[in-house]
Amino acid sequence: MTNYDPDKHPLIEMKGVTKAYNPRKGFFGRKGNKVLALNDIDLNIHKGEIFGLVGQSGSGKTTTGRLLVKLEDPTHGKIRLKGELINDLGGKPLQHFRSKVQMIFQDPYQSLNPHLSIAETISEPLVVHGIGSPESRREKVIQTLETVGLRPGKAFYNHYPHQLSGGQRQRVAVARAIVLDPEFIVADEPTSMLDATIAIQLLRLLSRIRDEFGMTFLFITHNLAAAKYLCDRVAVIHEGHIVEVNTAENIIRNPEHPYTKKLIKVQPGFRF
Amino acid sequence: MSLLSVDNLSIGYETKNGMVKAVDGISFSLEKGRPLGFVGESGCGKTTIGMTLMGLLPDNAKILSGSVRFQTQDLVRLTEDQWRSVRGKDIAMIFQAAMNALNPVYRVDDQVREAILAHRPDISDKELNHRIRELFELVEIPYERIHDYPHEYSGGMKQRVIIAMALACQPQVIIADEPTTALDVIVQDQILEELRAIQSKLNTGLIFISHDIAVVASICEDICVMYGGQIVETGTRKEVFSSPRHPYTKTLLGSYLSLDNEEHIIIPDMRESADLTLASGCCRFQANCTACDAACKSDQPTWIDISPTHKALCCDAGIIRNPHD
Repeated sequence: MTNYDPDKHPLIEMKGVTKAYNPRKGFFGRKGNKVLALNDIDLNIHKGEIFGLVGQSGSGKTTTGRLLVKLEDPTHGKIRLKGELINDLGGKPLQHFRSKVQMIFQDPYQSLNPHLSIAETISEPLVVHGIGSPESRREKVIQTLETVGLRPGKAFYNHYPHQLSGGQRQRVAVARAIVLDPEFIVADEPTSMLDATIAIQLLRLLSRIRDEFGMTFLFITHNLAAAKYLCDRVAVIHEGHIVEVNTAENIIRNPEHPYTKKLIKVQPGFRF
Repeated sequence: MSLLSVDNLSIGYETKNGMVKAVDGISFSLEKGRPLGFVGESGCGKTTIGMTLMGLLPDNAKILSGSVRFQTQDLVRLTEDQWRSVRGKDIAMIFQAAMNALNPVYRVDDQVREAILAHRPDISDKELNHRIRELFELVEIPYERIHDYPHEYSGGMKQRVIIAMALACQPQVIIADEPTTALDVIVQDQILEELRAIQSKLNTGLIFISHDIAVVASICEDICVMYGGQIVETGTRKEVFSSPRHPYTKTLLGSYLSLDNEEHIIIPDMRESADLTLASGCCRFQANCTACDAACKSDQPTWIDISPTHKALCCDAGIIRNPHD
């Protein structure tokens, strides 16, 4: 990954990616039906971009996110980070890859370990990857807490998740994701459990982190309005196919695919 | 006369840090055929209101004051036995989590059958089957699917069964508590459409609870905006959404992302959640209010009328009467 040129290659490149699940193995090991969660997907995400992936439940948007952070492997197709194939990574290169991509999950009530203090949660990735000394890690954790808007960082250092509100927990999840200075973060519906007033603050935080640290995001959502607010480009995914990729503005103004049109039509609004 | 009228209702939860007032002195009335919406963020007391109207408050909850008039009775005073004849029959609820509200080991038609039999034990088999068929038709579930188990249904279909169950005994009041929150936008749109159609067809009273202002706006004629256990603003849909007056309502509407309002987004600075341990009647929004001054800490807010139907709860009439910020 040494001689990577962001102008030549996209940061993330998915080519012909298919992911099949075998939901029912059958009672006596008979072959069940295969479910194609993703069907021959091509996707490029450029460095510094916030890329939105919009679709309804079951459309394959979460599967895409999980493949990109290598929580799962594709059935067919190739995924590249900075031009380098990640399909068959193992050992040291895989460990290095893990420090470069991170994920923010949907539900901050379930994604944080209740037994770990905020400090332990955020410093765990640093410990796992053997970065810094205990003192420098402490410094880094406090600094990261302040970056995500939990100020003063020292006040939150020894708290536990149950002492925090939903919005604060999600900020901790963001802090945990950015503490390793990753290149790429997958945010899977990070605001869907939050109230509107809190969600908008979190979206603003993600966009600030992108501007400040040049991180690249995949923002997975079912909310087209949130994608429009946050993302540079948006892909609409439907039944495992990407039906449209464009800037959010263009997608909303001139939707080409009938599914996109439908999605726009059902977005709630309250203008009278 | 209103179908249901609530007067000065306060509800507290006993916790180890003392009494927490989840609902603080709220009053409203529900008219037939005019859906009433409660909107607010988590912890504002909207579900507690729904549970009170169903007599389903948990053991550590206590009704501190107020009355709920329905027909000739005060629901606050009902015993558990008396509740059993009201709940499900006169007042029914559409619950939030469709995934958990159905019993996984019973067929869906049997679950609806049970709901009818609970209140009409002497109904004939023929009439019962006819009624079940009618209900599933009403919520648009094909007849050949009614013997299925809940796991064979999609999320939207499960929610339809919950609606059918709520309608089983032709209740006069239906309480819908976040009925579409677990569903994605496309299914949400279908369920809302369904609810609208059923509501206008049966002309029941409907109380709709949601954190999503756009969903409430699409269903309800009258809106109550709640914050920290108080109703802070109430009015018709048009009044509240096109001319919000309370600082919290403005924040709530201003932070809502829709496809056409990006330029008008206000990023709120909500640091603290509402303090529910404050004495009754104090303004609970003061810690987050941008228009707040010292007087708000000591004064009790009062209702300030903007029109006969539109009013807001605030210490400062100047803020409320001014339509611009």
